[in-house]
Amino acid sequence: MKQWNNIDDVLDFAINEEEAAAAFYTSLAKRADHPSMREVFEGFALEEKGHKAKLQAVKAGEDVVGAKDQVLDLKVGDYLVDVEPSPDLSYQDALIVAMKKEKAAFKLYQDLAALVQDDKIKKVFLALAQEEAKHKLRFEVEYDDLLTED
Amino acid sequence: MEKITFTLDGKKIEVAKGTTILEAARAEGKFIPTFCHNDDLKPFASCFICVVEVEGRNNLVPSCSTAAAEGMVVTTDSERIQRARRTCVELLLSDHEGDCLGPCMSECPAGIDIPGFIKHLAEGNDRAALELIKVNMPLPGILGRVCTRPCEEGCRRQLVEESVAVCHLKRFAADQVAASGDEFIPETAPASGKRVAVVGAGPAGLTAAYYLQILGHQCTIFDMQEKAGGMTRYGIPSYRLPRDVIESEADVVAKLGAEFRFNTKMGRDISLDQLRNDYDAVFLGLGAQVARPMRIEGEDTEGVLSGIGFLGASSRDESMPIGNRVMVVGGGNTAIDAARTALRLGAAEVSILYRRTRAEMPAWEMEIDAAEEEGVRLDILAAPVKVEKAADGSLDVTCIRMELGAPDDSGRRRPVPQEGSEHVRVVDNIISAIGQDVDPSDCEGLDLTRWQSIDADLHKCTTNMDNVFAGGDCVTGADIAVTAVAAGRRAAISIDQHLQGQAVVGDPKIYNHTMGKIDEVDKSVVEGFDKTDRLPMPELEPMERIKSFDEVETGFNEAAVREEAKRCMECGCRDAHECKLRDYATLFGADQHRFQGVKRLFERDKSQAEVVYDSHKCIQCGNCVRLTEEVLGTSSMGFTGRGISARVKPAMDRKLKDVNPEGLDRLVENCPVGALTFQDDPVATLEPCFKRPASG
Repeated sequence: MKQWNNIDDVLDFAINEEEAAAAFYTSLAKRADHPSMREVFEGFALEEKGHKAKLQAVKAGEDVVGAKDQVLDLKVGDYLVDVEPSPDLSYQDALIVAMKKEKAAFKLYQDLAALVQDDKIKKVFLALAQEEAKHKLRFEVEYDDLLTED
Repeated sequence: MEKITFTLDGKKIEVAKGTTILEAARAEGKFIPTFCHNDDLKPFASCFICVVEVEGRNNLVPSCSTAAAEGMVVTTDSERIQRARRTCVELLLSDHEGDCLGPCMSECPAGIDIPGFIKHLAEGNDRAALELIKVNMPLPGILGRVCTRPCEEGCRRQLVEESVAVCHLKRFAADQVAASGDEFIPETAPASGKRVAVVGAGPAGLTAAYYLQILGHQCTIFDMQEKAGGMTRYGIPSYRLPRDVIESEADVVAKLGAEFRFNTKMGRDISLDQLRNDYDAVFLGLGAQVARPMRIEGEDTEGVLSGIGFLGASSRDESMPIGNRVMVVGGGNTAIDAARTALRLGAAEVSILYRRTRAEMPAWEMEIDAAEEEGVRLDILAAPVKVEKAADGSLDVTCIRMELGAPDDSGRRRPVPQEGSEHVRVVDNIISAIGQDVDPSDCEGLDLTRWQSIDADLHKCTTNMDNVFAGGDCVTGADIAVTAVAAGRRAAISIDQHLQGQAVVGDPKIYNHTMGKIDEVDKSVVEGFDKTDRLPMPELEPMERIKSFDEVETGFNEAAVREEAKRCMECGCRDAHECKLRDYATLFGADQHRFQGVKRLFERDKSQAEVVYDSHKCIQCGNCVRLTEEVLGTSSMGFTGRGISARVKPAMDRKLKDVNPEGLDRLVENCPVGALTFQDDPVATLEPCFKRPASG
């Protein structure tokens, strides 16, 4: 298992994760059949890049601030089937992909927080988990609004 | 007579000395707007809308009171002048209280002249009512039954007791004329030689074709189904909308000359490219016909149906089999229709699962009530999460209970699964009705939104392809039928402009002043109206109606219609179609709310036998005051107060009945707005025939 020696290790890992997520959405954008969905995925990629920039700022000395309160978990994605990313993905399915991806990231950081001993590093992992929970909530709310129509 | 020469909009002209700029400009055929100017009166220069630019002067000058002078250089129209005139209008609007149109009409997406047609019904003129309705909406039999009635939400009668039963009245007009055997087929313009392909025979397509045929364009309507009506036929059960009503209204479109080609699907049997090549224009009214998936485990299991698929199938065959225990998922009208249809097909236990609360169900309240009356069980704050086929062929549905979570940033409480609430229910069928999307495979080359709808201009109905127009659900996503009808009409106007080689600007927007929503309106507007209860729509008994697909709502009889129609308060201005303030507000693109301030109180003086004075509409032009002083010599109207609190009133603060009545009719004729009107004037109505809009 990877050793977490200091907070920078953790941040580097998280930055890589955000970068990978951005690359994932960028590749979906390139493959998307339709320009409107291309825009959707480019938007998602941009958000991930924003998260990365935020982490880089933390690495450069900015305080790590997790969400003050427990982030609302609508658990929308928990009961939905996995969707295979494909060029003809609908917006509904794109949101499912995104929700599940953010949930996985959230869970990863929570698991890592449980594994490490160092309190400072644990705190950073938990803050990152909270951050991912916020990202997930944003997609859940969008999905919930989509279903409000009927 | 001494003459002077000056320059008007770059042209040197000679006029008699003392001629005002306004007089000179009008003699030259120039347009300068005025409110307070009256040829019979001395210049007043109070409204300042007639301002023009005079070279060498910093300020704009009122043309009505400024004499042309030797060598003067005058400009009557410029950006600066337009801005000033717009501001002038907006200042007047900020102190003008009233509704141009009845709020019912403003709320109706199709803009039906509701007070107008109801007045015809009250007077027993059913055909005139129908003809007036069809100026804006060609499907009154259909919409009179299935519309969710946004008009009634605006009805001011609610300040007395309940809204007028607008839709029931509309239905009566349609049914009466249909039953008379003398159906209304409007006159059509001479054939233009232009051909339009209309894709979709639903409300949007039928409407577009109806108006395009009237304008002389030959339409061919393509539809993938075997009959006309679109979602009104294949998404709304016949107990709400009998099929002969759809047939009869689609038949009028055919009698206008449109050709129907059924069982022809764009993207399968014919391509958009081909239509673009073969026709001068294409209108897409495709609807939103693809059921949105639940994306839960086991969704593909046999016995799981989509709401729209189920309703379509039962529309074709009302004896189709369905299990005994049916679970419908969703909270919209499709869910309700599916549940009530399942009951009629013999299901003994029908429940509707909805993951939010009843208050949030998007279905029409009356339909929810009707479903419950018929025995449908509402199961709110619940959702299915997994479906499995049991050994006996039934479906084991794992469901969870939901609860409303903490408010999010928008303050909304969203449903959250309750921990440990998973449980299994056994049913024979699940009908999923959680929304519908557009089929993007039909739309090759068209710009789409992320929701897969066609990215079209909502007003002009234009798309990214120059001869392709779109409207209705395929643009907005699943919505109520009347919005699709409205879009079809707007599209017809745009397509007509396109076919005539004009710039496509769509249906010209006409300014509409409003006193606001029902809860913003001063209750004094309903003073003098006594309580008269709204008449209920007669309907079949719940246990009787689930035995068949017979129409549940049996319709008003004639006596009920005449009585109900008399409840209409005829809101809206009697002068709406002749009001200068409205005309100029439209012309200069004025905004009612640009200048906020204390609004005038609603104050109506109906004391006089012939004339009504609505002081809340007065714009202080002073025409009436000056006419009574300078021409009539009656001095029956006067100013009270000073400055911005000045008001025009019957002289000496009397009631209108107490002033000299001589010449009051002339005051009415010279009032530029609807402040002074005749008691007997009806509320302004539209011309009873659809015409090409003037600026179109």
